[in-house]
Amino acid sequence: MRIPAPALKLAAICLALSPLVAPGAAQAQAFPSQPIQLVVPWPPGGGSDTAMRMTADAATKRMGVPVVVLNKPGAGGTVGIKEVMSSKPDGYMLAMIATGAIFAQYNNPNANALDEMEPVVFFGDDPSAITINPKLGFKNLKELVDYAKANPGKLKNGNDQPGGSSHVAASVFEKGLGIRLTKVPYAGFAPTVQALLSGEVDMASIALPDVIEQHAAGKLRILGVSAKARHFKAPEVPTFEEQGFPVISGLWRVIAAPKGTPADRLKVLEAKFLETLSDKEFQDRARAAGFLVTPGGGAVAKKRWAEDDAAMYPVFLEAGLVKTRQKK
Amino acid sequence: MEALAASLGANIALGFSVALSPTNVALCLAGCVLGTLIGVLPGIGPSATVAMLMPVTFYLSPVGALIMLAGVFYGSQYGGSTTAILVNLPGESSSIVTTLDGHAMAKEGRAGAALAVAALASLFAGTVTTLAIAAAGPPIAKFALLFQSPDYVAVMVLGLVAAVVLAQGSLPKALAMIVLGVFLGLVGTDVTTGMQRYTFGVNALFDGIGFVPVAMGLFGIAEIMHNLEATQGKGRVMRPMDRLWPSREDFRRAAPAAGRGTAMGLGLGILPGSTTDIPAYAAYSVEKRISSEPWRFGKGAVEGVAAPEAANNASAQAGFIPMLSLGIPPNAIMAMMIGAMMIHGIAPGPQIIDKQPALFWGLVASMWLGNAVLVVLNLPLIWLWVRLLTIPYRVLFPSIIVFCCIGCYSLKNNPADVVIMALFGVIGYGLKKLRFEPAPLVIGFILGPMLEENFRRAMLVSGGELSVFVTRPISAVFLAVSAALLFAVLMPAVRRARSGEVAG
Repeated sequence: MRIPAPALKLAAICLALSPLVAPGAAQAQAFPSQPIQLVVPWPPGGGSDTAMRMTADAATKRMGVPVVVLNKPGAGGTVGIKEVMSSKPDGYMLAMIATGAIFAQYNNPNANALDEMEPVVFFGDDPSAITINPKLGFKNLKELVDYAKANPGKLKNGNDQPGGSSHVAASVFEKGLGIRLTKVPYAGFAPTVQALLSGEVDMASIALPDVIEQHAAGKLRILGVSAKARHFKAPEVPTFEEQGFPVISGLWRVIAAPKGTPADRLKVLEAKFLETLSDKEFQDRARAAGFLVTPGGGAVAKKRWAEDDAAMYPVFLEAGLVKTRQKK
Repeated sequence: MEALAASLGANIALGFSVALSPTNVALCLAGCVLGTLIGVLPGIGPSATVAMLMPVTFYLSPVGALIMLAGVFYGSQYGGSTTAILVNLPGESSSIVTTLDGHAMAKEGRAGAALAVAALASLFAGTVTTLAIAAAGPPIAKFALLFQSPDYVAVMVLGLVAAVVLAQGSLPKALAMIVLGVFLGLVGTDVTTGMQRYTFGVNALFDGIGFVPVAMGLFGIAEIMHNLEATQGKGRVMRPMDRLWPSREDFRRAAPAAGRGTAMGLGLGILPGSTTDIPAYAAYSVEKRISSEPWRFGKGAVEGVAAPEAANNASAQAGFIPMLSLGIPPNAIMAMMIGAMMIHGIAPGPQIIDKQPALFWGLVASMWLGNAVLVVLNLPLIWLWVRLLTIPYRVLFPSIIVFCCIGCYSLKNNPADVVIMALFGVIGYGLKKLRFEPAPLVIGFILGPMLEENFRRAMLVSGGELSVFVTRPISAVFLAVSAALLFAVLMPAVRRARSGEVAG
């Protein structure tokens, strides 16, 4: 079959003009009608990146438009988040935020505060833990706490740089357990695990999923997990609370949109992401990869932020880390 | 011993049976081709590519995914040296040192020989490293655990001393460049205290100045500016190539250098935080130091291509050792590989060899396969690459600049990096005019912050005891070697000065 040339020309003109017509048409169309960008403010390869890539892949099927992950790392996550929060609030630019955003707003003048964002969906937590080099000999949390109380500052704890999630966890542990540690900073979890294996530090306050394999192989020992419940990847490890220390610390992940995004679009995003995260197949896949997915809507996310903000602010203040936006 | 050899044989057989399945061979080939391409394109690094391929790996078998991603990684190491040699533009950071002698060889009309030596040295290093991983992966990983902060400090000191040794021309100028490099490395967030240093509230500087924008500016952009000026905009004319293949003399010089480079790459590559560039620098400086004709370096010495190329490939593959057997990723790419495995519910760690023998040995076998594929792929391509040299410079240089910009941007999807690259292009041009070498600056820039971080950590852990540097055997040995090296370099200069001669 041959298509007459004028018809082809007409089609080409229509195609060329379509972007001009599109804005008007889009208003009438159902909301996600073009690709959604999900900015991960961390470099590719880490837990957050993996979690968001899995989410984006599954959400693409639900939204009917591609959900594309874009890594924009820098300044503890604030670069990527700021870019999204300053973008046009049309629901097509979203960012992942994590617990670290609470710290950033007090430490970095360029960081966004919660009232500049619109949380869409709550993904889940990676709980923190106390992990030791087995050479240390402690069998449970109590033995460690007793030793640390008798020898303040003697135990060397491997953690992130000040403000990083495992540094915050260490500070929360010090306050909650009433102990004092020598906090030795490393650039990320990998060198921290290395230092713990080599015996340079005695213990570490990094997230449980980062030490599970070492624990299973007997190279490291997780003394307790600082969550409400035991972790499915290491069910034999008791929580802090079970051992008599009600201390909770961890890292949560939330997907957020810029302030001012139309309510109907937020509703669509929230519903579709909730469907995605609640899907049985997705949950199985995420569990296999070590993520505990506990889906929740925007309100759940806001509540968690507010709770953790209230709990952590005194810790930051005590550690001298509050530089901007002092709370009254 | 025999039982050990037999089990090793069985394991390798298992590995090849996995790696040679049609799907996995195809994935290996696809990864290698893609890796070579992104390696040739300056700045578009393996990290960005591996990140983009991550969603694809959801739908592959775990071992297939790893084989493909690994192919991208070492393919880029091969490809990165191609542009370094031909147009003096390092495709990857680890190829910067290859520009020194590789490009000098190209200027002499020996581009084909340089490319062939680079490919063969990489193959040799890849083969040796694969065998090392197969025979002794876990024990080697344990060796890495012997290193603590004071030992890293000593390694960095050796690196900085090597930078002095590596310096061409005036020693005071080299020292000035190292100090400037260390200073630039201070910019950003201090790991120990979390304080901002020299960031002036600019968000783009909070994580420090990126290595790639600096290196591309100093080497790539500055070189282009210099070339355009020196030739009134026509670009440098290369001597026509007289031969494609290295001479017998080239092989005689290159073979032992590749051996030493492999050993250094393997040794340094298993340390966490190690990148492929440090082993390449180290291997180069060793060659220059032990050579009976050190003046040939920087003017087209074939050893200066073979050693760093072997070292960067060996260290790229040695990175798999701590990744697989300890679950500790020594660099960003290995972290992404762990991410790809996690999605399939496989966590690398001490038990992976027992729990996932097919995956482990399949990956090991595919490494060797990948290296062989790359040589088969790259040797015939040499004739194509060298034709790049016949492209008129007025066409070539704008494309190089465009690729540099894309590459810099794609690192963090941040336009600030492109501006930083441009700035360092101008700085590099100024330094060239004033006859300052950029190489020591880059070494100071990489090693300075690592030295500081580890030194402060060592002090924190030891409670301020400086004696840890001499009481720990590893640290003591590295410091002793550094002192000896420094002495060997400085003595002739001191003697010359005393005898009244004026040093150059």
